[in-house]
Amino acid sequence: MMVYSENQRKSFDETTISADMYQVLSEQGDLLSSLDGKIDDSLMLHMYEKMLLVRLFDRKSVNLQRQGRMGTYAPFEGQEASQVGSALALSPGDWMFPTYRDHAAAIVHGQDLYRIFLYWMGHVEGSICPEGKRIMPPCVPIATQMVHAVGTAWASKRKGEKTASIAYFGDGATSEGDFHEALNFAGVFKTPTIFFCQNNGYAISVPFEKQSASKTIAQRAAAYDIPGIRVDGNDIFAVYLMVKEAVERGLRGEGPTLIEAITFRYGAHTTADDPKKYRDQETLSQEWREKRDPLARLQKLLQKRGIWNEKLEEQWLAQMNEQIDLHLEKAERYPKADPVGMFEHVYAEMPWNIREQQEECRSFFKKDVKIS
Amino acid sequence: MVEFKLPDVGEGMHEGEITRWLVKEGDFVTRDQPVVEVQTDKVNAELTSPATGVVNKMFFAVGDTVEVGATLYVIQPEGEEEKKPAAVPPAAPRQARALATPYVRQMAREMSIDLDDVAGTGPAGRVVESDLIQYAERKKAGPTPDNRPKEQEAKTEAASVKPLLLGESEERIPLKGIRKKIAEHLTKSATIIPHVTHVDELEMDAVKEWRDRIKEYADRKNIKLTFLPFFIKAIVIALKEFPTLNASIDDETNEIVLKHYYHIGIATDTEDGLIVPVIKHADQKTILELAAEISQLSFLAREGKLTLDQISGGTFTISNVGPIGGLQATPIINHPEVAILALHKMEPRMVVRNWEGVIRLMMNMSLSFDHRLIDGVTAVRFTNRIKELLENPNLLFAELR
Repeated sequence: MMVYSENQRKSFDETTISADMYQVLSEQGDLLSSLDGKIDDSLMLHMYEKMLLVRLFDRKSVNLQRQGRMGTYAPFEGQEASQVGSALALSPGDWMFPTYRDHAAAIVHGQDLYRIFLYWMGHVEGSICPEGKRIMPPCVPIATQMVHAVGTAWASKRKGEKTASIAYFGDGATSEGDFHEALNFAGVFKTPTIFFCQNNGYAISVPFEKQSASKTIAQRAAAYDIPGIRVDGNDIFAVYLMVKEAVERGLRGEGPTLIEAITFRYGAHTTADDPKKYRDQETLSQEWREKRDPLARLQKLLQKRGIWNEKLEEQWLAQMNEQIDLHLEKAERYPKADPVGMFEHVYAEMPWNIREQQEECRSFFKKDVKIS
Repeated sequence: MVEFKLPDVGEGMHEGEITRWLVKEGDFVTRDQPVVEVQTDKVNAELTSPATGVVNKMFFAVGDTVEVGATLYVIQPEGEEEKKPAAVPPAAPRQARALATPYVRQMAREMSIDLDDVAGTGPAGRVVESDLIQYAERKKAGPTPDNRPKEQEAKTEAASVKPLLLGESEERIPLKGIRKKIAEHLTKSATIIPHVTHVDELEMDAVKEWRDRIKEYADRKNIKLTFLPFFIKAIVIALKEFPTLNASIDDETNEIVLKHYYHIGIATDTEDGLIVPVIKHADQKTILELAAEISQLSFLAREGKLTLDQISGGTFTISNVGPIGGLQATPIINHPEVAILALHKMEPRMVVRNWEGVIRLMMNMSLSFDHRLIDGVTAVRFTNRIKELLENPNLLFAELR
């Protein structure tokens, strides 16, 4: 530590915080830097294919909710590059902590589509992930999953496993205490955690500038002495490369990384929300769709490289729709969800007090309460 | 046959209002195609079709309020032949259960009336409160076959008898949309705020002369110059001197909020009802800037293109009913504001000046104010100040920023 005197002192107004973001693929579909073989043609196609699949899935889910076949749903259309790009950068054994809006990430990491349908139909079975995968149930409380992700990463590190943990969260979560606790702890123990923030500008209805005086979310990493990176969240290459680097860093023992992906949800916060009440929905949504859509951008590049055409897309769409329908059928064949099921997976062995609550709940439903 | 029942699209909603049908009966729809638009207290949702086929029947009209679970329409799925027996109307939803609000259901239970026995006169055959009362009265009159008609008979009878009920004919229009919002808002304002209205008149000759002199200049700039900008200027100057009129009461914290910004709402008549576009920071704008903004906002209001930002955040409202006519009024304050000024018709009137009768261009203004916060004397001083500034535009000129 050095001391400095008055004439070396910086004024209070001097600031070094930058709001710039990292971009690899421009809005016009041009590469701004060489990919150095880190992303080849087949990976590009794979990225596009996954984004297309999750977009169809998302639209289908909104429709199902509007037809009364599914409960409230949180759409993610517009955020595909952030979710697909980040999930593709993981290894199959990495831990994933998604929120209720991160189904695209979960699907790419190996979750079955029908499980997600089941989740929104009210089945606890919707939270089960395939054998060998480490995809946690979607987290509905805000920011609580971040400390969990620090825990699993710390455990992996202590066990000497080469697995990282990624926590997904939104801009709203960064105002919660858990966000700061997680960053602090991860910084101290240098856990291989990726804090992946999708900053879509709104915590439900609260725009970021009304939520915090911080210029960026990434800048907060500085307080915990961990890297904070701002990327274009609608640029799947930028997201993929940064998350990949963060994972590698973490596994080398260099600690956590905070990544702020700038993106936008085209739709409502959930199907029970009306964005027209708090923002100029039509203009904003149209502007992002036209200028920064993650799929359109990659499609332009693929077309320039001669590896995409409309026929291929049509083929994909047909296959994907069929795949989604099959999963939907499977989900709809499940017996109706039983509310008492919610007590079942809290502990490996049910303690007496939870059992009591379950019994109480069961007898409540037995009374067959008629709601007129 | 696939029946489409109104789902709970808004997390715990009980009913929704049909705002738009996107198809007609007999139309072919594909799966996931939007069919009907429903407005609930939370969302405005387009509901999509669960199947591909022909929309056979729609059970509700635009404007109907429908309970969750009621069948909205029926689809004959593609490839599924219409079976003969099914041609007989497949259990129409309102035959399954009479339509009524939870309130009316409760009332029916208390009166021990079976809703299915009552002929509904509300939208889509809905049983309303008055139907129950009439039914109960008829029942009391004695159980003769005549006054216990079956539902269908009652309906046709009511239809044919109605025109004969001279002098008691009425029409029932559902209170909805903007009209409902206005109703709720005004009820709130009138219930919370103890209103007092104070009326005064002012002489407009001087300000008219002033306006006429710069009108040509404004015309050249393509700006329509009315008297309203002069009023806004005078009001803002007066508001700065009487801060309690540009304030609100925070009922939760028990605080008076004095606002140091001057956002003036202008009550504007549109086809859909009253809308109040707001001129932000009126104190920092020139008379011509105000005039231009008024034209623009009223144009947007009539086109229905105002954004939420343009109709919220007002601190004081002007209701300019002058062009229509009238002497005085008791305007209702736009809660949470604490005062509203109505401007009335400007006309030549006989007045007394220096003990002589002369003709002057006179105008009345009515100020309603929140008596919790503003004393009568303050209100009178406030309008006196407006009067002083407008009757002597030179003073107004001296105070302009």
